Amino acid sequence: MMRKAIAARFAVTVGLAAFAVAVSDPALAVPSFARQTGQECIACHVSFPELTPYGRYFKLTGYTIGKTFVSSDGFNYVPLAVMAQASVTSTRNNNATDPDTGDTVAVNPRNRSVVFSGGSLFLATKVNDYVGGFIQWSYDNLATTADGTLGGHSGIDNTDLRAVGKYSGPGAAEPDLIYGLTLNNNPTIQDPWNSTPAFGFPYTSSPLAQTPGATTQIDGSLGQQVAGVGGYLWWKKMVYGELSFYHTASGAFSPLRAGQDTHSDGGVAAVQNWNNPYWRFAVSRDWGANSMMIGTYGMIVNRYPSNLDTSTATDRYRDIAIDAQYQYITDPHTFTAQATYINERQSYNASYAAVQQSGGGIGAGPTPENPTDTLKSFKLKGTYYHDRKYGGTLAYFATTGSADAGLYGTDADGNARAPNSTGYIIELDYLPVQNVRLMLQYTGYTKFDGAKNNYDGNGRNAGDNNTAFFNVWVAF
Amino acid sequence: MKHIGLAMIGAVLAGAITAAGAQVGTTAADIEHQKAGEEKAVNLCSTCHGPRGISTSPEFPILAAQRRGYLESQLEAFRAKTREEKIAHDFMWGIAGDLDDHMIDSIARYYAAQPPAPGRPGDPALIAKGKQLFEQGVPDRSIPACASCHGADAAGVSDFPRLAGQHAKYVAKQIEYIQSLVRKAPVMHGIVKDMTPAEMQAVAAYVQSK
Repeated sequence: MMRKAIAARFAVTVGLAAFAVAVSDPALAVPSFARQTGQECIACHVSFPELTPYGRYFKLTGYTIGKTFVSSDGFNYVPLAVMAQASVTSTRNNNATDPDTGDTVAVNPRNRSVVFSGGSLFLATKVNDYVGGFIQWSYDNLATTADGTLGGHSGIDNTDLRAVGKYSGPGAAEPDLIYGLTLNNNPTIQDPWNSTPAFGFPYTSSPLAQTPGATTQIDGSLGQQVAGVGGYLWWKKMVYGELSFYHTASGAFSPLRAGQDTHSDGGVAAVQNWNNPYWRFAVSRDWGANSMMIGTYGMIVNRYPSNLDTSTATDRYRDIAIDAQYQYITDPHTFTAQATYINERQSYNASYAAVQQSGGGIGAGPTPENPTDTLKSFKLKGTYYHDRKYGGTLAYFATTGSADAGLYGTDADGNARAPNSTGYIIELDYLPVQNVRLMLQYTGYTKFDGAKNNYDGNGRNAGDNNTAFFNVWVAF
Repeated sequence: MKHIGLAMIGAVLAGAITAAGAQVGTTAADIEHQKAGEEKAVNLCSTCHGPRGISTSPEFPILAAQRRGYLESQLEAFRAKTREEKIAHDFMWGIAGDLDDHMIDSIARYYAAQPPAPGRPGDPALIAKGKQLFEQGVPDRSIPACASCHGADAAGVSDFPRLAGQHAKYVAKQIEYIQSLVRKAPVMHGIVKDMTPAEMQAVAAYVQSK
């Protein structure tokens, strides 16, 4: 019983974390960079935030193309950008049974209502020919506190600051080597390809929908909680390698998690020193209007089960991923595809021992029944745009993993549940002007948190969580 | 015949003048300007226009061996925002907006001095049709031969641009822009105003093959 309660508590924590990730959209386009370069969004983006080859070059050269906002000529442009989103979410079956009272409750209290999701302010600019970056500060109008109270809240969002250099040998026709340092607060936010999680599809999803509980560490679980420092090399625009190390965003790095919940157990993550390496290796080739990349990336996270107690041992998560991206960019036809597979091995060195010893985890940390578990996720999407104005996307996703009653509870027969969720996304986009995107997105689940039918033990089916989402995105 | 002979002499003279002009001045300032232009070409222009000006994407024109005067006039048009087709507006206004005259001059010299892109094969029937149009025009409809300004080998003459080896898609699109007055080129507009889409495709395929 005790274990069940702890598992439920952990599930709530995971759910809140997933919710936070869902509302914390990636930076998307940053119009102040357009002001800096004098170029339109489509120079760098297929459709925001997906980068073109030129956009990748802009990012890896540290956002330094174009003018500084102040120069000897005076004030050149405002290095700020604003983004806002409003949406309507419709859940297929908005009624669920409260497990404690048996009452029927609304899954989404704002179902089929227009909501202002929130907005962001960006400081995004070139500092000089070698330094540039962006800082996103977001207001989440739908934020909830730990007790479930709704209320607006603002805090730091994605941040990527870079210092870069280039080397060209004698007579070179293009840079032989681009190298740089990155400081960021979300593993993979620094990556220039859109097959990695931080800027991966879906680029925007409903802030109110039910979403599967389990995600890997590298897939958004550490965003705005950690500080990463690393270096990268890009050789002849073909071979890319990066090595970074992440630390809890505390002390001097605390601005990188400003506004996040550092006081509650189950709040922002605490990881062990700099002992959390992130790596990336990719090979790419551009030919004709085509661009192709095949790569691998990964991370080892040594995480304290309770973010409030760093005197304990740590759990170890080892994420290894492969990914690929293809782009065909012409006027008026654009086709792009991305795929990634992440394999996470979870070694509950601290939490499993605690559960064995006391029957409970450490603080709000996980309460596994297994010493080790696996969690795997696969995502695949294809997008077509006509004239960069009318777009359609099809996506498939699958999460599978070890059954663990301590983490995911048990089904009606008493068997441990697995975190398995599968489904698809169909999305239609229309950009009447480049700063406005109207989006209609449908997410369908064929499996949700372990089962197709009755996944929660109270009769709710995976398909009940199917979500239609209409979103208006504006940036300027 | 006499006119052709004069035109050839003119073309040779113009080529000689341009070739002489491609030589960089010898003052320290000239050398510095040229170095800055080359750095810009290597570090920025090459991202879309390819190494040494040979782009792989047909959305971005090949600049290698382009006529210097033409490159200068186009960069000036981007800077002045008088060349207005979509891709010029979206990409080049920003890039060229900051270029001073020295930079424009040195970038143009750099690309004019690069080896040309080799021709690429295409549909033989289309190329044959394009060749006829390029060399003879369509006298019945008062469309003059392209070769009369762009040179018999399509390598460009004086400030008339090189077309040989250029992406067919880019060439056809530019003719469309000029025909529809999206791109302002009064002389060319008069020449291409009655061209059919099929003729544009044919002549574009031919110059790409050169």
